[in-house]
Amino acid sequence: MSLLKNSRIGGVLLDITGVLKDGGIAIPGSVEAVRKLREAGLAVKLVTNETQITRRTMVSCLVNLGYSVQEQDIVPPCPALISLLQHENLRPHLLVHPNVLPEFEAIDQSNPNCVVLGDAGDNFTYENLNKAFRILINMEKPRLFSLGQGRYYSDSESLMLDVGVFTAALEYAADVKAEIIGKPQPEFFRSALRDMGVVPEEAVMVGDDVVSDVGGAQNCGLTGVLVRTGKYRPVDEKHPTVHPDAIVDDLAHAVNLILKSRK
Amino acid sequence: MLLECIRSIGWKCNITRLITRLKEVIRMAAGKVPVKAVLIDLSGTLHVEDTAIPGAVDALKRLRHSNIPIKFVTNTTKESRRCLYERLIGLGFELKEGEIWSSLWAAQDLLRSRNLQPMLMVDDAALEDFSGLTDFKEEEQNAVVIGLAPNMFNYSQLNKAFRLLLNGAPLIAIHYGRYYKRSDGLALGPGPFVRGLEYAADCRSEVVGKPSSAFFQSALGDTDPAHAVMIGDDVRDDIGGAQALGMRGFLVQTGKYRPGDESRISPSPAVVCSHFPEAVDILLKECAQSGGDL
Ligand SMILES: [Mg+2]
Ligand SMILES: [Mg+2]
Repeated sequence: MSLLKNSRIGGVLLDITGVLKDGGIAIPGSVEAVRKLREAGLAVKLVTNETQITRRTMVSCLVNLGYSVQEQDIVPPCPALISLLQHENLRPHLLVHPNVLPEFEAIDQSNPNCVVLGDAGDNFTYENLNKAFRILINMEKPRLFSLGQGRYYSDSESLMLDVGVFTAALEYAADVKAEIIGKPQPEFFRSALRDMGVVPEEAVMVGDDVVSDVGGAQNCGLTGVLVRTGKYRPVDEKHPTVHPDAIVDDLAHAVNLILKSRK
Repeated sequence: MLLECIRSIGWKCNITRLITRLKEVIRMAAGKVPVKAVLIDLSGTLHVEDTAIPGAVDALKRLRHSNIPIKFVTNTTKESRRCLYERLIGLGFELKEGEIWSSLWAAQDLLRSRNLQPMLMVDDAALEDFSGLTDFKEEEQNAVVIGLAPNMFNYSQLNKAFRLLLNGAPLIAIHYGRYYKRSDGLALGPGPFVRGLEYAADCRSEVVGKPSSAFFQSALGDTDPAHAVMIGDDVRDDIGGAQALGMRGFLVQTGKYRPGDESRISPSPAVVCSHFPEAVDILLKECAQSGGDL
């Protein structure tokens, strides 16, 4: 295993789904790997596009799997979106998972002037998509926000369509370009790093999504490591535009590599 | 030359076919291209909703006297061939069901010719065009066909389609429309769902309807597009699509035609005429001029 080119590593960003866990199961070796990172004095944040559950639910889920995490360790896209909505006086029509509706309680949703798509899962019905479409097509300047733009994710070994698919559908239907909140948007990585006090050049991102995790992080100046767990498929190693700095079997191997590469 | 003609249509020929073939050969020698097939659009060209275009029923009869093979080509997401046939008969047109070549019909033709076992996301009314192709079990399916099927455009069905695509199944789109008009307002068409699945599986769909070249070619069969004419009211889907394959497009100024449409495509339509009966007159005159001296 060749070392990472980056030897000055101060912080590590980890994807959750497909790196720490797959469905309701911890990926073998990952609990121990996160502990080793912390023991080595590295700052760690969990950056996720997960929008099916709230941050609090995610914490209790991870704690049950043996991870020691707190809410402030997790960076999901919802808080960033909510501060943007407040800042621009936007009243969203939400097509999101019912579990995350409480996060939007404080936001005025009457007479909507934008549409927000999250990973709504079974809530992606024809009628719900149609409702969102009609709101967009009737807007003079339609605004569509998408919490991430993932193609699919792995849930207990079966692949599930992610929000990006429905965003692409509505973009085409209403002839609008969505504004992405979450990975691979550069500002999303930057704000996580600012919280950690680490510059991009001294940070590593580990994820199972070659485009969103690895490519997104690299575009921002981070080192990007792809793991062969979660939604990983062998074709990802031959991606036409994204070339990971390293490809390893799982998070345990990624952490060993990070710690060895570090001076 | 007579012998050559007889050989080219087989010895068991009748005298009419022989004369037709002779005319063709002479016209070709004179640098004229004989018309060997006419494709005709339905909605907006032969009829608008439940009313035939004035004179169109008679015009079709006159065209039939020329013995040029005719196919009726239309993009449809839920009307089966039989349903289209019954509507046209009801309006007084003379035709055979087998002369209708819809995008749904082209899809089943493509599935059969490639031996594919599809997951069908099409309207229930369209299923009769797919007889023998409707009952494959999930594990047997190796193609995804998308028409307009709002009751199947949901998370669990789209997930199933997606997993087939990841395994390499081709994605066949009957239509790529963004949306359509429903009694209660605009509604999402198949296009957005096709686009979403293309994004998910990082693949490209094959669109089977107009204006795809494959659609016109499948309607023509073995006929050389250079010898074929398309008559329609949609300058892009009918005329542009047909001309891209090398056919000649006759644009009629009925249906969805809007002034200025003729200059919206390049090269512009081979012929622009006010309605279907005029298109037939022009065609028949052409035939008479190039071959009528026999
Ligand atoms: Mg992931
Ligand atoms: Mg038409």
